Amino acid sequence: MEKLMTLDILSSIKGAEASEAVDNLFEIIKKANPSAGDELSSNQNIVTLDGLRSDEVIVCSETERNLIIENFPKSKNNYLVVSKVIEE
Amino acid sequence: MASEIRRIHEDLKSKKYTCTDLIKDKLAQIEASDLNSNNLVLTELALEKAAAVDAKIANGEEIGLLEGIPFGLKDVYLLQGTISTASSDMLKNYKAPYTATAIQKLLDAGAIPLVRENCDSFGHGSTSENTVFGPVKNAIDPTRVAGGSSGGSAVNVAKEFTTFSIGGDTGGSIRQPAGYNKVYGLKPTYGRISRYGLMAYASSTDCVGPFARNLEDILILLNIMSGKDYHDQTTIKTEEVDAAVLEGTPEAKKFTVGYYKSFIENEALNPEMKADFMAALEKLKAAGAEIKELDFYDVDTLVATYYMLAMAETASNLSRLDGTNYGGREDEKVLKDGYMLSRSKNFTEETKRRIVGGNQVLSTGHAEEIYLKARTLRTQIMHSFDQEFKETDIILSPVAPDLPPKIGENLKKPLSMYLSDAYTVGFSLGGLPTLTAPVGTEIGMQITAAKGQEQTIIEFAHLLNEVL
Repeated sequence: MEKLMTLDILSSIKGAEASEAVDNLFEIIKKANPSAGDELSSNQNIVTLDGLRSDEVIVCSETERNLIIENFPKSKNNYLVVSKVIEE
Repeated sequence: MASEIRRIHEDLKSKKYTCTDLIKDKLAQIEASDLNSNNLVLTELALEKAAAVDAKIANGEEIGLLEGIPFGLKDVYLLQGTISTASSDMLKNYKAPYTATAIQKLLDAGAIPLVRENCDSFGHGSTSENTVFGPVKNAIDPTRVAGGSSGGSAVNVAKEFTTFSIGGDTGGSIRQPAGYNKVYGLKPTYGRISRYGLMAYASSTDCVGPFARNLEDILILLNIMSGKDYHDQTTIKTEEVDAAVLEGTPEAKKFTVGYYKSFIENEALNPEMKADFMAALEKLKAAGAEIKELDFYDVDTLVATYYMLAMAETASNLSRLDGTNYGGREDEKVLKDGYMLSRSKNFTEETKRRIVGGNQVLSTGHAEEIYLKARTLRTQIMHSFDQEFKETDIILSPVAPDLPPKIGENLKKPLSMYLSDAYTVGFSLGGLPTLTAPVGTEIGMQITAAKGQEQTIIEFAHLLNEVL
């Protein structure tokens, strides 16, 4: 069965509500009438398979690594601390 | 106006002043300003780099064209080791772990970063009021907004605090503030400049671009920053723009210029700006250009299509900001509650509005009715551009429907703000290159060409300087 989620859960934002301004934009799209047949235009911002870079691991510099660790919000005794995960 | 980059370069080479004096002078101007255009001044870094340039000159070494040239960067670009906030509380203590490709290319060429510039938080805005650093004031009339989202960058260039600044444009965020502050601002073809290290708003339209006070500087910066990048697979290979297009007087008769009837008939368009725009077309016609009226989508459809897709993309892009690995964290016993509190407390109201709207767009039911339909509309808009550029070289359009609003005027009216993007968002959806030139109307004009045709745009802007 499909699980319904409220906007605050969906967005992870407390008290999230629909906005009148955004609802107005929804209505414009609902009323628009795109003509059929253009869904697969070649003129998209896409990357061709030939253009994909190799799937490889690149080791970052020591400076970058240290800055990433420095940005971590909380640490204790050389461990990075996160909240306890409780499965629902 | 001649290149200021070249002027400063010659001054430094001839020892008219030292690079350190130049940087100190700019830093003093920035410190004295009350326009709120900067989030962080990079005093130590800038002076250190200036001393290195001075040492090179003193040793009789050659310096490159950009060496010692002061610039600013919108506070959404990563510059290793500097606090990079996106004008948000969420990232107020975030230190960039690496440097954006576009910014690195400028650093490699010797340019000196002076300031991280105030902007709408995560690029979410058209006035530079959606920022935790206070609204950016317009460079010409400080009671009005600077425009957005790259408002601080436009103001810094207009006030000559920086020789150039690097903004970001998702739906008009370079072009509109450029117009509001009477400077040049270029949104290049999507993919021409790497987005690596630019904090993502809507990845399918995000572009990196320069603000400057003259065309030649725009050209120089475009050529330096362009190119394929290993780190951004959407980058494309492009030709350099030839500086020769700025020599002599271009012929008007070689251009077929289109304009959109729906843009001009938009009731929101300021009557004086409409008259100035039509007068500019007449002058071009008199000079020999062919002028064509074109049919296009109504502005409401363009705005709604853009915002539906941009909100969907930003909801997805900003879902990574939950306070776990970096950014503002509010601790709760349960991880999910921590996510929710961190995001609720550290995002601005406008950012939350766009995230919530984006999640609505992507949710079951709306995804089919709104998101997929908006994608189809986008494809058709792109197709329409393809057809138009078979018969025209340039599309000329206003930058925005009206003069910059007074500070505070649009803050509580998000729909008014969205609709003020009417003339810029369509070209973003098309991935097209567009330049705002400070000519023709009170807030300039937008010059658009087919993908990859930045050279045509710059040549045409040069023509406008001669004709108008």
